[in-house]
Amino acid sequence: MRLNTMAWRSLSRNRRRTLITSLSVALGIFLAVTLTGSGDYSYTNMINTSTIMGLGHVSVAEEGYNDRPSLSRWLRDAGGLRDTAAGLPRVTGAYPRIMGQAMFAAGAKSAGGMFMGIDPALEGTEHNFFLRSVVAGSLFAEADGRGALIGAEMAKKLNLRPGRKMVITVTDKDGELASELLRISGVFRTGDHAADSGIVLVPLNRLRQTLGYGPGGATLLAVYTDDLRRVADIRATLAGKLSSGQEMEVLTWRETQADLAGLIAVDRLFNYLMQLLVGLVIAAGIMNTMLMSVLERGREFGIMLAVGMAPSQVARLVLVESLWLGCLGVVLGIVLTAPWFYYMSRTGIDLSGLVGEDYSAGGVLVDPVLKLRLFRESALAILASVFLLTLAAGIYPAIRAGRVLPAQSIKEK
Amino acid sequence: MNEEQIVRLAGVSRVYRQGNVEVRAVDRLDLDIRAGEFSALCGPSGSGKTTILNMIGALDAPTEGAVYLEGRNLAELSRGALSRFRRDRVGFVFQSYNLIPVLTAYENAEFVLALQNVPLAERKERVMAVLREVGMADYADRRPDELSGGQQQRVAIARAVVSEPAIVLADEPTANVDSEAAATILDLMEQLNRDKGVTFLFSTHDQRVMDRARRLIRLRDGRLAADEGRK
Repeated sequence: MRLNTMAWRSLSRNRRRTLITSLSVALGIFLAVTLTGSGDYSYTNMINTSTIMGLGHVSVAEEGYNDRPSLSRWLRDAGGLRDTAAGLPRVTGAYPRIMGQAMFAAGAKSAGGMFMGIDPALEGTEHNFFLRSVVAGSLFAEADGRGALIGAEMAKKLNLRPGRKMVITVTDKDGELASELLRISGVFRTGDHAADSGIVLVPLNRLRQTLGYGPGGATLLAVYTDDLRRVADIRATLAGKLSSGQEMEVLTWRETQADLAGLIAVDRLFNYLMQLLVGLVIAAGIMNTMLMSVLERGREFGIMLAVGMAPSQVARLVLVESLWLGCLGVVLGIVLTAPWFYYMSRTGIDLSGLVGEDYSAGGVLVDPVLKLRLFRESALAILASVFLLTLAAGIYPAIRAGRVLPAQSIKEK
Repeated sequence: MNEEQIVRLAGVSRVYRQGNVEVRAVDRLDLDIRAGEFSALCGPSGSGKTTILNMIGALDAPTEGAVYLEGRNLAELSRGALSRFRRDRVGFVFQSYNLIPVLTAYENAEFVLALQNVPLAERKERVMAVLREVGMADYADRRPDELSGGQQQRVAIARAVVSEPAIVLADEPTANVDSEAAATILDLMEQLNRDKGVTFLFSTHDQRVMDRARRLIRLRDGRLAADEGRK
């Protein structure tokens, strides 16, 4: 049977209706790409931004560190671990870091906050958000020096600027108070109030000495990848390569930043619900079109049935029409969406004027430029959903077409 | 001529319900049609002609009695089997031509053969042969809306006979065409009956058709009023 030919010719009989219905499918694709694309972009951006503020996409720490972070839980051989992690596929960076709480004082002023010990020889702007945000001075040059990179708001509070001194006071690995004199090498401003008023970067080796760690000591190893979808694989591989000398845990960003993971999960669910609603509205439109078409062509289906076409073949014909409608919608959708996606994935829309100076949401910095990014899986899911929806929308009209009573419908004028 | 019985109606009634009123379209009718007949059901509107054709063609079912086609009781066939039965054993010619509008003349004539999964080469040969017989070979690529009423009816006849059915049921085939086209159509059907032995059963109140029919089955109020066999 020439079902495809018949279906296509039937659709081309009422070109305007076919075009309008296809445009509704195209609009659905446009909306789905925009919603999913903004989600894929913003989630990736939020995750990347949050992970480059310290913990990495995957982090290795002493067992129990994630539940109860403490400077007494530290890795003995972070350097060896770094070498292992850096050699794994899709790993783009691995950095030993020491993170903890401290009191910072300058003159008569003091403030509580977080410190992050980093090795300036290893770290760069790619995986360290604070290094991208330097607004005065620069990062300290030596890992065992006394430099410090301080958040702009804390610097203001403590009346500090590059060249000035401050004292950091911490509890060492044994719970004893320890202090160190540091000199401000630079100031950063991220746009996030909590980071700018509460974080100081200090040289890793200097901190190791202060805390009483050995030369390979660090509270965690932050591991980075260029493909977020691979974090579970990296975690599993890395966990399998850990030495048995120390009890360690390998966690992904979902566990180390559970709040962010929850926020994204809820937002994604809302996003999917929105898309489902859009999809249902579009499916209703397609079903309406197909049903009208079937009701108008009762006589035609009656003739087909009268001359021996099986009801299932008539129903299949309507389903094929529905699928062609979906195909046409997909083509129009791609034509309509491609320029928009191209612009939005490269340039985007700058919303900084709307969000003000604090670009954080839920404690995570958000890119004020709205952009789109579509993972291959998301694109395939959109196309598959469109086909399934158009097919589903055609089912009821198809059943109706198959149930036409030829003796009655042939009489219809 | 083969005198084998093709159709038998045994005590057939068909009752429709219109609101609270029962309409007895066909009333306890007994009828036989034999192979090679060129017969006409005639009678005024409402006498049950089309209902009888629909029941013989398995488009409708009797409320009483049984319709046998080639010895098979149609009531015993499933919906799918009825579809196959119509496809393989019955040809229809309707008053309003009823070609499939999105298909060309060739494709309309080919439609039943395609449903039967006849190989493409054989299909093409048979379709072109029948289109030549009905004088429509030169119009094979035209769609129904590009053909006159008479031409459409000739294509409908081609569609009805191309699969070599046991019987062709023609419901008022000349009602919507002019006299010249009607004569051509009747000539064509007579020729197919005479040369190929195709069995035709018409429903009509057109005198031109009645004049050509070799058997007139006269109906009144769903009952057999007269059965005039003319050899």
